[in-house]
Amino acid sequence: MIAPDISKVAPLGDLLAASIRDIDIPPRPRVLEKITDEMHREAPDFKRLTAIISADVSLGAGLIKTANSPYFGTRRHVRSVQEALLLLGLDIASRAIAGLSLREAFPPTPQLERFWDSSACIARISGWLTQHSQGNIRVPPEDAYTFGLFRDCGIPILIKRFPSYPALLQRANQCQEKSFTAIEEEAIPTNHAIVSCLLAQSWWLPEEICLALRNHHDATQLGSDSSTLPIISRGLIAHAQLAEYLIQRITGLCHTEEWTKLGALCLQQLGLTTGDIDKLLPEATAIIAAES
Amino acid sequence: MVGNDSVTGFLDRNGCLQLVVKLAAWAKSTGKPLAALWVDLDRFRQINESFGHLGGDQVILQMAERIRDRVHGRAELSRMGGDEFVCIAPGLNRHQVDELAHEIQRVIELPLHLGEMQLHPTASIGIAILENGEDPFAFIERTDRAMMEAKRQGGNRIVFSGDEPIPGRLGILLAREELAIENKLHTALESGGLRLHYQPILRADGSIEAIEALMRCAADDEEIPPARFIPVAEKTGLVIRLGEWSLLQGASHARRLQLAGLRCKVAINVSRAQLVDPKFSQALHGALICANVSPDLIELELTESLFMDISDDVQNNLRNARACGVGLAIDDFGTGYSCLANLKDIPATKLKLDRAFVKMLPQDQRALSVVRAMIQLGRELGMTVIAEGVETREQLETLWDAGVDAVQGYYHARPMDEEALQAWLAAREVP
Repeated sequence: MIAPDISKVAPLGDLLAASIRDIDIPPRPRVLEKITDEMHREAPDFKRLTAIISADVSLGAGLIKTANSPYFGTRRHVRSVQEALLLLGLDIASRAIAGLSLREAFPPTPQLERFWDSSACIARISGWLTQHSQGNIRVPPEDAYTFGLFRDCGIPILIKRFPSYPALLQRANQCQEKSFTAIEEEAIPTNHAIVSCLLAQSWWLPEEICLALRNHHDATQLGSDSSTLPIISRGLIAHAQLAEYLIQRITGLCHTEEWTKLGALCLQQLGLTTGDIDKLLPEATAIIAAES
Repeated sequence: MVGNDSVTGFLDRNGCLQLVVKLAAWAKSTGKPLAALWVDLDRFRQINESFGHLGGDQVILQMAERIRDRVHGRAELSRMGGDEFVCIAPGLNRHQVDELAHEIQRVIELPLHLGEMQLHPTASIGIAILENGEDPFAFIERTDRAMMEAKRQGGNRIVFSGDEPIPGRLGILLAREELAIENKLHTALESGGLRLHYQPILRADGSIEAIEALMRCAADDEEIPPARFIPVAEKTGLVIRLGEWSLLQGASHARRLQLAGLRCKVAINVSRAQLVDPKFSQALHGALICANVSPDLIELELTESLFMDISDDVQNNLRNARACGVGLAIDDFGTGYSCLANLKDIPATKLKLDRAFVKMLPQDQRALSVVRAMIQLGRELGMTVIAEGVETREQLETLWDAGVDAVQGYYHARPMDEEALQAWLAAREVP
């Protein structure tokens, strides 16, 4: 057989490896693959896992910091990667590592650094909030944390592809009538919620988190009567939205109109009232101050 | 008498539970099955309210007699209180206990005279079969839950424990077996259990027309066949995630091939559930943007079930995909739901003839005539025509003679993983 459409076949493998960089969605990091493989063994070897994680200094440090975060409610101070793994358990640790790797998977720019800091803050406050919501469903803090980190990860991908996207973001942030994603779709053929969901799917995150990512600006999916979302997904959206609102109240930075559009539905999901928000503010302020 | 019901003479609740413990031990030691039926009369409260407790007791007594006569020694009978009877049937298998339940249902349905009134009673029946090592009380509780499910479904029906739907992880009601598959699917989705395998589609000159991406799913090192996981994925909505995952991975693969010097279409299967989703277009574009791939390198393979009902949403989604340059192929054409009337409504660029026709070639002349007619039809509609399932040289030559544009099948290559595809591409002769 003749294959006229391949000019040079020999260096295919090398070219494929080099080409990964050209694809805009960051692939799931190798370290995460190794950790998942180890976790799925019948008897995971903690020593080997510790070695894999410690090989990446910032990952190891990040995991220790995560284990010491107040939203896990632990009073014990963790000092090593192995202790962090034992304290968090493998499931939570792998989620935390996914979150930490997400930031590393994107090339660092000053603009993105601020974006990731803000996502990390939302993630931490969301995780902490799970202990304070009154709704029927308990959202695991690690899920709320992961969701917070991944919620807007579609944004850096779209910024890279569409030069006008930052201006579009500003318009969407300021619009009080239409949903955030509706504004995006007026200018581009997709939206950041779908793109965040696609990335989370390819990073093997649980379906409840992927569905929450996909629908996190959709008011009809937050209402109890009209929603087709699993209750835990609605809880994830509500926790992160309230976290974002608290942060905006506390820091006075970067106001969006999302709370105007979704706040009442979020409070309903969380079983909270506007009065409860005032009670949450002092502790949230302390957490933000401690971690910044 | 302790352990007996004063109205019917059946065992009472305590007597029943003692008997179940005894018979469960018997079943364990003999290895024989033990079944239980929980029979609950529908609308009994209204009878009690209309005719008083005395009238109610009369109904209970008549029902008890009917059941006793019908069961005729095949089961031990008890009254759990009110209008609830339990039959414990040692030695009956699923088929036999199902038969017994239907007999009881029929005998209960016979008209019942109460004073001057004629009533038409019905019953809800739950059935359970003792599982290996199961606690006897848990077994009876399961029987009760199956009966309650029969009631929940509107009464006058028989439900086997295990058949009653239970909400799955995403809140969708599933049967027990489906629940197990849903769990496996979640495991696969969270542990990297999805893979795409690729099968080349070749033109007569040996050049590549496209490469079809086919999904493989495995959980806990065990492959789950599509026939098992697709129905559950459709029911739970996970099929959308599977489809979107394939879209992104397939599109990224097309981009990697392009960067390696092979500009070649990757054909990706999309499900009906994806195409009726109003966000399909955004997901498709999201995948194209993430993969940074040109839309003309992507082709969507549309399953035949799409032909059942081509709604406006589906047509819009297909038109949008076409408008941005994505190709559309109609899969498995010529069998199942394929309908010529609908063909004009789908802006497809490619027709893939079902393997069932190819299988009959070259011997079956009538099949060949049908294949020729379909090729002609595809041509008239401006489509590329592909034959699927080509396994022999004779089939291949017959199809080239008949005028197909490209072929796919084991004769050229089986579906293979990305690494094997690279090796396959590298091993091909280059001019």
